[in-house]
Parts: sequence; C-alpha cells; structure tokens
Amino acid sequence: MLEVRALTAGYQGGDVIRDINFHVETGEAVMIIGSNGAGKTSLFRAVLGLLTPSSGEVEFQGEGITGLATQRVARLGISFVPAERHLFPRMTVQENLSLGAYPNRPDPTTMQVVLDLFPRLAERRRQHAATMSGGEQQMLAVGRALMSQPRLLILDEPTTGLAPKLAAEAYRALGLLKESGLTVLVAEQQVPLAMALSDRGYVLENGVIRKQGTSAELADDPDVRRSYLGIA
Amino acid sequence: MASILDGIVLGLQFGLLAAGLTLVYGLGGVLNLAYGQMAVLSAMAVVLSMEAGLAPIPAVAVGLAAGGLLGLLLDLTILRPVYRLHGEARVLLSLLLTLGMAFVVDGFLTWRYPTKALTLRIGGGPVEILGVRMVRGGVVASAITIVVLAGLIVFFRKTTLGRAVRSVIEDEEGARLVGVDPQRMLRLILVITGVLAALVAVTRSLVTPVSVTAGFELTVSALIVTVVGGLGSVGGAILAGVILGIVSTIAASSIGTVLSLIILLVAAAVTILIRPSGLLGVKE
Repeated sequence: MLEVRALTAGYQGGDVIRDINFHVETGEAVMIIGSNGAGKTSLFRAVLGLLTPSSGEVEFQGEGITGLATQRVARLGISFVPAERHLFPRMTVQENLSLGAYPNRPDPTTMQVVLDLFPRLAERRRQHAATMSGGEQQMLAVGRALMSQPRLLILDEPTTGLAPKLAAEAYRALGLLKESGLTVLVAEQQVPLAMALSDRGYVLENGVIRKQGTSAELADDPDVRRSYLGIA
Repeated sequence: MASILDGIVLGLQFGLLAAGLTLVYGLGGVLNLAYGQMAVLSAMAVVLSMEAGLAPIPAVAVGLAAGGLLGLLLDLTILRPVYRLHGEARVLLSLLLTLGMAFVVDGFLTWRYPTKALTLRIGGGPVEILGVRMVRGGVVASAITIVVLAGLIVFFRKTTLGRAVRSVIEDEEGARLVGVDPQRMLRLILVITGVLAALVAVTRSLVTPVSVTAGFELTVSALIVTVVGGLGSVGGAILAGVILGIVSTIAASSIGTVLSLIILLVAAAVTILIRPSGLLGVKE
C-alpha cells in the first residue's frame, strides 16, 4: 500500500533522515520505533509532503506521491495524526470532526463509528477543542483523521503527553481500528504498546533504519530489548 | 440618542470593512493596505457605469463584480511574491506592496477623475426609529450591512466551505491534513472581501459622497477597528466597529470632526494597552 524508497530529507543545515526504505501492506499495522530525535517525525512529514524530500520516492497504492502537496496526499486517502495534533482550537468537537470529512459533508455512519469508538467526544460535541484535556484532544485528533474514511492511518507518537492509562486506552482504540481492517502506521517511543499492536516494525536511529522484522523478532532482539523495552 | 443611532450606522460599515481586512490577515498573514482603494475603485466603477447609462442597481452590480475582480487580481499579481515568504517577512512585504499600490491607485484616480464621487440617493422622507428621525439612506445602508454580516456569519458557521476557511485561520497545518488547500481559501477570501469593500463603498454612498480620495481614510478606519477588535476575529471586528462608530459620531457631534479621529486613535491605543490581542482576539 505504502512504499518508501531511498528517502532522504531534512531541513536547512543537513539531512535528518537518510536513505530510508520501508513498506506497509494493506491491513497491516506497522510501527517505527526510535528515541527522541531519531527522525520519526521528519520521516512522516516527508511522506505527507509537509517536508520536501531531497531524494527518494514515496508511492501510495502504486501512485507516486513524492513531494505532493499535503492536502492532495490527504485526499488520496492518507490520514495523519501529528504528535502536536493540530486541531482547530476555537471550533467545536463537532466542527473538528466534520472538517475531517472535507471536502465532503460528514458521513453520518462514519460519525457514529467515531463517536462509538470515543464516547467522550459525543459528550463534548459542542465544546471547543481547546478546552479539552490532552487525552480528549488526542481522541479528537484520531476521530478527525477517521472521518475521511482513510485507507491508511499514520500516527506520530499518539501517546505524547498521555498518562499510562490513557495511552493504553488509545492503543486499545487503534487495535479495534486495525481489526476493522484499517491499515495503520505508527511511530512510537512507548515501544511495548506499539509492539502489541503491530505486525511488523522498523527501528530508526539517527535518521537511518537499523533493524526491521516482525514484532516477535524485534521483541527477541537483544539491542531492542535493552534500548526500547528496558530489559537487560 | 440620535448620535448613537448614527454611530451604529457608521459602525456597522466600519465593522464590515474591518471584517474584510481581518479575514485576509488571519487567513494568509497578508495585510492589505490598498483595501480602501479597492472600495474607491469599485465606487468609481459604479459612477462610470451610471455615466455610461446604466440604471443604479445594475451599476451597483458592476461595482460589486469589480471589487471581487480586484481581489482576484491582487491574488494573481502583486501578492505572488508575498506568498513565497512566511511569518513577519510576509506581513511586511504585503504591507509594503499594497501600500505602494494604494499610492498608485490614489495618484491615478486624482489625476484622471479628480472631481468624481459616488453618491446614491434613495427617495422618500426620513424614517423614524426608536423615536429618532433617521435619514432613509442610512437605514437602508445599515439594513444591507446587517444582512451581509449575518450572511457572512452563517457562511462561516454552517457551510463546509466556510468552515474550511476558518480551519485555515485556526491551524493551517491541520487544515492541510484534512485536505483543505490554504492557497485556494485565501483566493476565495480575497474575492469575497473585494466584494465587501465594494459593498462598503456603495452603502457609504447612501449616506455621504464617496470621493476618489476616500481610500486612505477607509483603510485607516478599517485598520483601527481591526486592531481593536482583534486580528482574525470577524465578531471582534463587528463589535469594535459599532463601538468605535458610536465613539466617533458622538465625538464628531460634540467636539468636532477634526478631533474625532484623534479620539478614535486614543480609544484604539487604550484598548491595545489593556488587551493587546484586541476585544475578541486570540492570545498568541
């Protein structure tokens, strides 16, 4: 579904990610793990067209999308939930969700699915996004991303700023989405949660992919155990 | 009481003008200092259409279309280099380029049509509102302005396109992530606010002549109202417009026209000192 080949990108003053190769197949959940500053966010931004790659290719469903404008990538069926969420603060929960379906009117069935997944959002439909707690904002960000009925959902550190209980709850929701057939790509520092969700994973260190494998293989890897799972 | 009602008539127009300025700024970080000139050019389009033999209402339609076209032209021409910049540099370049354009337009108009002014007269005697006799033109102007402002609010609150425009003001990256093209929204708003500028010129001309030199005064009034109301806030623009309209009218009738602009500026300065983000503005 998503194919990234030899992708190199960065900001003025140097490349942040170099020669990245990875792929996501339909129906899979794939994780990219790495510490702070490893380049996870830059990698996603380059895929989404928020950062122009200096070389390499990104293909989505067989179509080249390298450097395509973000809004066009979004309309092709990739929904991205950034770590900073980028909600519309002075708009209501309802309006935020409706905009997720842009340029279409929100589909009532999809809206119901989202509200069933996150009942808190239903309770707060008329509240402004800015007035909600971090956990609720994260739910709203995921909910908004789902409103367009995406083919691929990409999440950048969905547990940022969440208490452990809420983080686990976020992953429970992602698990349900995966079961319903949605393809998920997630970058995460809280590796155990991501590992339980994902079929496969990649380890990103200093802007390059160091390891890859199924979640079980990575869970057995001594380096991964030491660095990301806190097991000696 | 009469001054308060007159102030509301003026204030609603201030509000409409400022709404145009604040939307473009909130959406694209572009400060359009040629906004008053856009209103005047539209007014001249109405004058020339009427001189060419058109009836007032079709002539007004030509004027409104001219306003929208001017907004589109702005987007397609002198704002192009502005779009390549971001942040403060973008605001600054837009300010300089549109100010330059304002001078060129003013110069052209005073050279070519030095004595022209748009005056639209509505027949019939004064109308009595709350026991005050009001000039019919002022009442009609206010009614049109209120309807348009209400229409704008409905557009922004209820329509998909209007919400998409707001999403860009709220969070541009978030907007792009849901598939909204900020550049197209900005073009749309430049066209809409161009029509609004034309509408202000037309409604103003129901009360007082709009001369070729009115541009800067309109822009300055709009700027003051925008800053007091809060950048990026349409509701703030309307509220500040009405308040400043009343202040300005009372000042003009009790102290004199010369001092009313100074009082307006003082009121703006005080607001900014107390609430730097404006009445309804967002805190950065």
